[in-house]
Amino acid sequence: MADIAITCAGVWKSYRIYHQRSHTLKEKVLSRRNMFEDFWALKGVDLEVPSGSTMGIIGANGSGKSTLLKTMARILTPNKGWVEVNGTVSPLLELGTGFHPELTGRENVALAGSLLGHTRRDMEKKYDGIVEFAGIENFMDIPVKNYSTGMYTRLAFAVAISVDPEILLIDEVLSVGDESFQMRCHQRIAELRAEGRTIVLVSHSLETIRALCKRAVWIESGVVREAGLSHDVVGAYLGGVHKRMTQPRERESLPENRYGSGEAEITGVQFLDADGDEVPSFCTGQSLTVRVGYRASGPIEDATCGIAVFRADNHTYVFGQSTQGSKIKLNLAEAGTIDMTLPSMPLLKGQYLVTISLERAEVKEIFDLHDREYSFVVLDNPGLPMGGGLIHVPTTWTISGSPVRA
Amino acid sequence: MAITISGPSRPGSPPPVGRATRSLAAIRELAGARELTANLVRRDLKVRHRGTFLGMLWSLTTPLLVVGLYYFVFKLLFKTSPATDVARPDHHAIPFAVYFYAGLTLWNLFASSILTSATSVTSSGYLLNKVYFPRAILPLSTVLSSLVTFGFEVCVLLVLTLAVVGLPSLQLLWVPVIVLIVVALSFGLAMLVSAVNVHLRDLAHFLAVLVQLWFWGTPIIYSMGFVAKRESLLTLLRLNPLTGVVVGFRNVVVLNHAPDIKLLAYDAACAVVALAVGASVFGRFQRTFSEIV
Repeated sequence: MADIAITCAGVWKSYRIYHQRSHTLKEKVLSRRNMFEDFWALKGVDLEVPSGSTMGIIGANGSGKSTLLKTMARILTPNKGWVEVNGTVSPLLELGTGFHPELTGRENVALAGSLLGHTRRDMEKKYDGIVEFAGIENFMDIPVKNYSTGMYTRLAFAVAISVDPEILLIDEVLSVGDESFQMRCHQRIAELRAEGRTIVLVSHSLETIRALCKRAVWIESGVVREAGLSHDVVGAYLGGVHKRMTQPRERESLPENRYGSGEAEITGVQFLDADGDEVPSFCTGQSLTVRVGYRASGPIEDATCGIAVFRADNHTYVFGQSTQGSKIKLNLAEAGTIDMTLPSMPLLKGQYLVTISLERAEVKEIFDLHDREYSFVVLDNPGLPMGGGLIHVPTTWTISGSPVRA
Repeated sequence: MAITISGPSRPGSPPPVGRATRSLAAIRELAGARELTANLVRRDLKVRHRGTFLGMLWSLTTPLLVVGLYYFVFKLLFKTSPATDVARPDHHAIPFAVYFYAGLTLWNLFASSILTSATSVTSSGYLLNKVYFPRAILPLSTVLSSLVTFGFEVCVLLVLTLAVVGLPSLQLLWVPVIVLIVVALSFGLAMLVSAVNVHLRDLAHFLAVLVQLWFWGTPIIYSMGFVAKRESLLTLLRLNPLTGVVVGFRNVVVLNHAPDIKLLAYDAACAVVALAVGASVFGRFQRTFSEIV
């Protein structure tokens, strides 16, 4: 496979906005020309999507996100410039593309499968999985027009997540359906990502983009405003400062939310899952490890490392712990890492910000402190009971009672 | 496999591709999407008859009812047959109904292809906007579903011929050639009308009238001999690209005669022209389909 899955080179795309579209001969003859004006939805977009990467496209409504995705999918042809695509493509622009109400579930699965670029043999292999996921074995031979909305959505959804092209283009499909659908969808995307498929995702949910995509582009009025790691792009889009830092910076150019003497420095922070892999999102109840990388000007005894977690939406302070508080003696070497593990991370769905500090234990001398500079995303765990609030608390219920006599 | 979607070429764009390479690529792409085409044909056929009591039988019933109607008009009301040169080499009698039905099946293949394909693109907006596929599949699948219906009708025709007229001859081997010419002509015109109808929706209405006129301008219900004395009419019939195939089809299936090679060759040439014009117009119009439809 080529290194670059999708190349957009100077892509311009205009729509004609007709004030009055003349479709019939009479109108064409009577009005000497069509009243229309050109609206440029894309104005010279240059973009490369590396093979095997996940790329998010963000931007306000009408910024050209979907148009860009459609030119990648060959649904729209650019007016200027070109798009080159290396590999098989499946676009998921809506649920149930090509479903015909008169056809049965079984027939629609075959039809939709071939529209998404699958061979019949592929679809026969996937068929059982699709039916099982949709959970409507008994209804596969009746027309989908007789389905309930829920059944229809489940089937359409099952077909959508059964795709496994080299390049997957997704437009907001994730935002329909209930939480368990979305969870399943995120899992499927994670699987495809692990298999090295290329994924381009348009979403209004910055959380989704940040959780699922390594890279992102921000489109504004048809031009690329920012492209790079999704964390940075989403941050830039929000005008925020929640940047991920992996390299130590010059002390002079520190942003406001970082301070300290610099005797020891935080050089990087990673969020790891149970396998020790760095992932952008976690499910409630999964293992989460915060790994802090540091370097020090020399060995430092009696240091302490503090980690505090805030909710990103309202900056509620959720919890904070330190090595000192946990009665752990921390001796810093010249460079190393410190891990804090939550074996069963109780936080509920949302985005969280993390503050990290390195300090001298007894005298409150701060070496380095990064205030709410790092973030991770928590997704619902379908295996846990539903609940509200900030955290999941394991509970048992006991019900008792006797009939009341009148 | 690299696919390049390009607008007008500009500096730094991939090298422009020649017309021949482009058409070849288009044909290869169409061939690559044959499973989708098959599925769309299947959908067309199923949807057309789903919910009706007779189902697929309707595609046979309708032409038979038409035959009954014209039989009533010509044989019972006018008491004259418009088909004069109906002799077989083995002197079996040929009922007017069978003679007419033979021509009608081939005509239906052409007429229903053209009429249903006119709206094939405009009625598929929900697909055009959501997924890419070679757009020519839309007119192609309507032509192919007409071809499937035609297949059933021909089976009935063969049974009728065997039962009422007599054994067919080796001339039957011409049938695939004739059908191929009609399919090519239909597909060419189908691409043309489906693309034009996107911009000019009057066309679908106009076609309904035109096809009616065309029916009477083709020797389906009458024979060539019927107009033999009217030289100008005969010339008009010879210019009609359906004359050769309809007369030829009837000759080889029912009458056991050889087809008129000259007329067939003319029809084949017309089919090639129709394919070229249709593909060129369709190719030019298709890039804006998803925006307008």
